[in-house]
Amino acid sequence: MMKKRFNGTGWLFASPYLFYGIIFFIIPLIWSFYLALTDWNLIAPVYEFIAFDNFIEAVQNPGVQAAFFVTFKFMAAFVPMVIVSSLVVALVVHGLPRFKGLFLIGFFLPYLASGVVSSLIVKGLLSYNSSINVVLRDSFGLDIDWLNSPLSALLVVAAIIAWKFTGYYALILTAGFEGINKEIYEAAAIDGVTASQRFFKITLPLLYPALFTTLILSIGVSFGIFTEVYQLTGGGPNYATNTWQMEIFNQAFTNLNAGYASAVAIIASVVTFVAILMIRKILEVWGKRNGWV
Amino acid sequence: MVGSSKGLLFRYIIAFALLSVMVFPYLYMVLNSFAAWDQVDKSIIPSSFSFRSYEWLFTGGEGGTSRPWIRSFFNSVIVSSASTALMMVSGAMVAFALAKMKFKGRAFINNAVLFQMFFPAIILLIPTFLIVQNVGMYDSYLAMILPKALSLWAVFMYTNFFRAIPDTFIESARLDGANNFQILLKIVLPMSKSITTVIFLFLFMERWTELLWDMIVVRSDHMLTLNVLLSQMFGPYGGYPGPLYAASVILTVPIIILFLCFAKQFKEGMQFTLK
Repeated sequence: MMKKRFNGTGWLFASPYLFYGIIFFIIPLIWSFYLALTDWNLIAPVYEFIAFDNFIEAVQNPGVQAAFFVTFKFMAAFVPMVIVSSLVVALVVHGLPRFKGLFLIGFFLPYLASGVVSSLIVKGLLSYNSSINVVLRDSFGLDIDWLNSPLSALLVVAAIIAWKFTGYYALILTAGFEGINKEIYEAAAIDGVTASQRFFKITLPLLYPALFTTLILSIGVSFGIFTEVYQLTGGGPNYATNTWQMEIFNQAFTNLNAGYASAVAIIASVVTFVAILMIRKILEVWGKRNGWV
Repeated sequence: MVGSSKGLLFRYIIAFALLSVMVFPYLYMVLNSFAAWDQVDKSIIPSSFSFRSYEWLFTGGEGGTSRPWIRSFFNSVIVSSASTALMMVSGAMVAFALAKMKFKGRAFINNAVLFQMFFPAIILLIPTFLIVQNVGMYDSYLAMILPKALSLWAVFMYTNFFRAIPDTFIESARLDGANNFQILLKIVLPMSKSITTVIFLFLFMERWTELLWDMIVVRSDHMLTLNVLLSQMFGPYGGYPGPLYAASVILTVPIIILFLCFAKQFKEGMQFTLK
């Protein structure tokens, strides 16, 4: 039993969080609700209370509506991309006896590199006179303006972020693979199970906990896209890649509508929170129904 | 799953093919940073090379229209190091309290940390900016360091790890008269080297590549971090793709070096985090 005199020391050790939580969580949280009810523009000394006008304006705004749908469109592209690619990497690389260090650093590199750098390289690779586009134009007659058509811009951004997270998620899935008891495969081999049955009936269900983790993480990522979009498209063309962060950044720091942007941020937070909670619940129920959890 | 040596060879071929796809853009970046300027973005492997892009960065470009590239590199080093150091110290302290000390309110603090961790942080962006502005920290190092002086993720990771350390180690040290700071420094942290490496690498990497926050709290050219400066190069410097790749290389190399230095401990630490 520890004695009561450790009480004060406990609070002393926890004090960095207390300061941080009050200054950078509680105060900003309250302030954001206060701001959202005003028409303040970040500079003017005076402002007015306009009650819920910001919220009413926000839900009618095309940028905000775009952000709502872009997040889910982005999720629909990004999540399958990153799950498949990390699953493939983990399947191929796990248990390979040599070059472990090389694979670790190699597949992790996109995660370590700045999103700015990755976006810049992709922009270069997709520029009009780049070798990729020259080959596509001359040999296939395809003239694709990658970042200026809505669908391809969204897919390019999704692909960059899938590329970034593949190595990280592959590491999570690799740990999942290594946790599977090898005797199950041996027993299955004796029973004459085919390779595809083995993958879908044994590996995938046993991998579900690791897969669940990567799914939840990748869905969370979908709600927080900024760097790649800012760097490549600025939210365009015509809001096709306008994420919540992009919309809030533009409203607050380009248009200086601090009050309005706070209202948008509150809407974004509520949408994010509710959506992640619901998706999580669906995945859990789905996993249970299939007997995977 | 192991299979024949033929199967193994086949898997190695696919593994290296996948690896080349993942790494190719960075090789492209390095090659183009050394390319002659009329060769940049023209072919996969440039036909002639030069150091002109790096020279351009270090001498400040044409006509002395110097952008403070070297300064921005050191800004990044200062901000990332200070911020990461604070996040490590605060993370270990708070986690030690949550995992190994008994006091009234511990459960409350633990729940507050978890709640805040899963709270959508975007709502805090504008008011946090206003706090920084109101206390006169706008356009300073402190503006980039203090709001990122504590990482909830670091607290979370350290707490989980510390909980796995048997209490007997701590009890016996306490009987020997060690105080909590000594226990944390001399017993708990030395037992946590691998997880410390993982936390350090992730935090430093994240801080080094931060864009949004560092972009909004800093205005002056000489205060920009390298990542922000590189990002801003897009507009006025769109015509200089060579230096753009060179700056990208300079931004990426330190992270890779750090990662290579700690690769072994990182691998061990990741085993714990993935459990």
